[in-house]
Amino acid sequence: MNTSQLALLILIFPAAGAILLSGRGWRLPRIVTKIVGPGAVWASFVVTLTLFFNSASGDFTYWTWIQSGDFNVPFNLLVDNLSIFMCLVITGVGGLIVTYAVGYMAPEDDPSYARFFTYMDIFVFSMLLLVLSGNFIFLIVGWALVGLSSYFLIGFWYHRRSAVLAARKAFVMNVIGDVGMILGTFVVFVSYHATTYRAVFKALPANDTSSLELAAFLLLVGAVAKSAQIPLHTWLPDAMEGPTPVSALIHAATMVTAGVYLVGRMHPIYDVAVYAHAAVAIVGAVTALFAATIAIVQTDIKRVLAYSTMSQIGYMFLAVGIGAYSAGFFHLLSHAFFKALLFMAAGNVIHAMHDEQDMRKYGGLLKQLPRTSWSFLIGSLSLVGVIPFVGFFSKEQILGAAFSKPDDSLALAVWVFGFITALITGFYTGRMWWMSFAGRPSPERAVEHPHEAPPVMLIPVVILAVLATIGGFIQTRALGFGPHLVDDFLTVKAAVGTQSWEGGASEVIATFATMLLAALLFLGAYRIYIQHAWKPWSAIVPWAQRLLERKYYFDELYDAIFIRTMDGLALGGLRYVEEPLIDGAVVGAGELAEAGAHSLSLTQTGYFRNYVLVFVAGAVVVGILVLVRVGS
Amino acid sequence: MAIAIFFVAAALAVAGGIGVITFRQPIRSVLSLVVVMIALSILFLLLSAQFIFVAQVIVYAGAVMVLFLFVIALLGPAKEIAKGRLRFQTWLSALFVLALFGLIWAMLQGVQYRQPEQTDLSTFGTVQSIGIGLFTKYLYPFELTSILLLVAAIGAIYLSRREGDDR
Amino acid sequence: MSTFDAGGSQLDTSWFLLLAAVLFILGTIGVLIRRNPLVILICIELMLNAANLTLVAFSRQLQNLEGQLFALMSMTVAAAEAVVGLAILVDIFRHRDVEDVDDLSELKG
Repeated sequence: MNTSQLALLILIFPAAGAILLSGRGWRLPRIVTKIVGPGAVWASFVVTLTLFFNSASGDFTYWTWIQSGDFNVPFNLLVDNLSIFMCLVITGVGGLIVTYAVGYMAPEDDPSYARFFTYMDIFVFSMLLLVLSGNFIFLIVGWALVGLSSYFLIGFWYHRRSAVLAARKAFVMNVIGDVGMILGTFVVFVSYHATTYRAVFKALPANDTSSLELAAFLLLVGAVAKSAQIPLHTWLPDAMEGPTPVSALIHAATMVTAGVYLVGRMHPIYDVAVYAHAAVAIVGAVTALFAATIAIVQTDIKRVLAYSTMSQIGYMFLAVGIGAYSAGFFHLLSHAFFKALLFMAAGNVIHAMHDEQDMRKYGGLLKQLPRTSWSFLIGSLSLVGVIPFVGFFSKEQILGAAFSKPDDSLALAVWVFGFITALITGFYTGRMWWMSFAGRPSPERAVEHPHEAPPVMLIPVVILAVLATIGGFIQTRALGFGPHLVDDFLTVKAAVGTQSWEGGASEVIATFATMLLAALLFLGAYRIYIQHAWKPWSAIVPWAQRLLERKYYFDELYDAIFIRTMDGLALGGLRYVEEPLIDGAVVGAGELAEAGAHSLSLTQTGYFRNYVLVFVAGAVVVGILVLVRVGS
Repeated sequence: MAIAIFFVAAALAVAGGIGVITFRQPIRSVLSLVVVMIALSILFLLLSAQFIFVAQVIVYAGAVMVLFLFVIALLGPAKEIAKGRLRFQTWLSALFVLALFGLIWAMLQGVQYRQPEQTDLSTFGTVQSIGIGLFTKYLYPFELTSILLLVAAIGAIYLSRREGDDR
Repeated sequence: MSTFDAGGSQLDTSWFLLLAAVLFILGTIGVLIRRNPLVILICIELMLNAANLTLVAFSRQLQNLEGQLFALMSMTVAAAEAVVGLAILVDIFRHRDVEDVDDLSELKG
């Protein structure tokens, strides 16, 4: 099997799995779904591992899709370290999550069980296509398919109106991003008359930078939409309506990281388009802080994790925005570990508490769900960035890279944002863990004696917990010394440029200072929420509480600007165009015919003498005609 | 002499016609029509149509009018009662009828008749010549007309049956 | 020349045609004005007769026998039509007393 065949196989497995499972009419036995669903993803993982260990690479064209003059779109897959890296994350973490979902999705829902795994496999396929594609067009194809799969999965329980609305919201915002992507691709094509990465990147520095800036900004729109950064972020919290495995896979580990991948893949463009590049960093930094503040006031455990995701992806954008590409991707990997872990552990809790998601109704779960609680703690500490967990190494590397460029004002500014965000992250994570697992059980608890999850749901969680604990040690740049495997991997073959950061002493001090302060805030949350020793800040500044609860009024703003306008336009169209003109024309034609017929029917008086009169009148007319004829 | 006959016959015909349309009782209308028939037959004679003259008297005045009289006898005398329907009918009728008359009159002005070839008038309109025409050149219409009469007779019998009669 | 010879004196064809026209008009007026169905049938006969007169007059003027033959056919058809018409009338009369043809207006609309 050569590389080109293996690369195609990575895509074929999940596609085949989806097709097989979509045949509900075949009445598959439940066991087939349980094996094929995750199995397809694991098979792709195995193939990806093969390629990884063989250091395979290449740009393989399988067939030509469109050939029209200059516009030549082949179906080609680009296998390099960046795409293998992404495939490993997608199939590895994805495999764990889909396995977990076998237990999470209650088998009582008869046909929808297979439907769920069909959608999951479609999603994995789309995401793999996105990262493996070797040209802009198939990137967009994968991009759009991922958005579609997200729509299916968020709205999976389609009987719930809130789920359907959330799915729609996610899809619409993703489409806005799609438009940006497509326009950006157009700009690239117009400038370089090529669609494959290889052709475009080779021709790059030749042209003027203004068109590249434009393309970079447009592509950024797509990245912002897919990764839920400001201002296209409002769909992500609502997307928690989907089942927890969906939240884990799509909204933590993979889909939302597509934006980061995009900037990384397009780094030749962003290296030239400096303004767009700076915008990436600014967007990331602002979103990171913004989302962290909102996470403080959330009461639904999944929403805390959603805003946390938004915030962490902000970190990734920040990193690739200042040129620290490998740091950003390392954080992507580590975030995939601990966020998927957190979501799945949360899923265990939700399952045990009979679908209760409000943290205020938890309390004291540590004693009753020990394994889940400890796994959750590992994930939380990783999120806060406490040594020795992987989150520490990845987050601090980013902050260190930003801190280490004192002459770059942008880098310094975003470091400040990142620093404050880290502290707030400590606080809200602590609040989340203490409220759910420590203290006394809440009186409003739905379940008195919750059970731990079954093995199929526990084992993936534990695996991820282990990975989160030891994973950091592949790249300990944050400490200023030690292995840097990710950097090496991603630099080799010039896949992604890296900013080499010489860890100086000041950076390391800043790193540990950050960690200690964040940890203090983590513990401080205990004092506030469990011991009730200090007043919660919400009592001190109630207006801020309201602002955060309403998520800075973004939803209201968008509603007023866009939704109302569209509604107004639609209503106006209905009242002034549709009803009078179109309805009028169509119905009017009918009414005209009817009126005509009615008026003609008045001649049918039924009176014989009238008819004879008409005869005579006709004879008169004929006579006149004859006379005129003869006379002329 | 012929002219005098013509005018007398014409006057009778017109008088009969007016009588047809003005008498209230149908039986008087029928009798006026009989007068018209007779007058017309005299006119036919003037026009060298001997066979038509006879046919008119026998068939029309003799058979058809008698048929009408029988029907009146069957249905009983009816009187027309003026009801207010179709008020415009009279006025419109007058209008169109006058128009029609004017048209016909206009058509008759400046008419150039074709001059006939000098044929022998001694056999014109005689029973023989009509017979020759009917049985040679116009045999087909003749036969069809007789079938038509047969059909009319059958139809009339069928239509005027009483209900329940299966004969 | 519109005259022909009849027993020594000259008669003008146009007079006959005018007379026929008058009779035809009288018949038309009768059909339009009268409301007794029987009288209407009678007036129709009057119209037919007027047409016959026209035919025969032309036949004499043009000395073509076809006019008379046509008039003969016309007479036959008129007889047949009168027969059938009266049969229908009798049938209607059996079910109700029709004094006014305006009552027979079920085909209204």
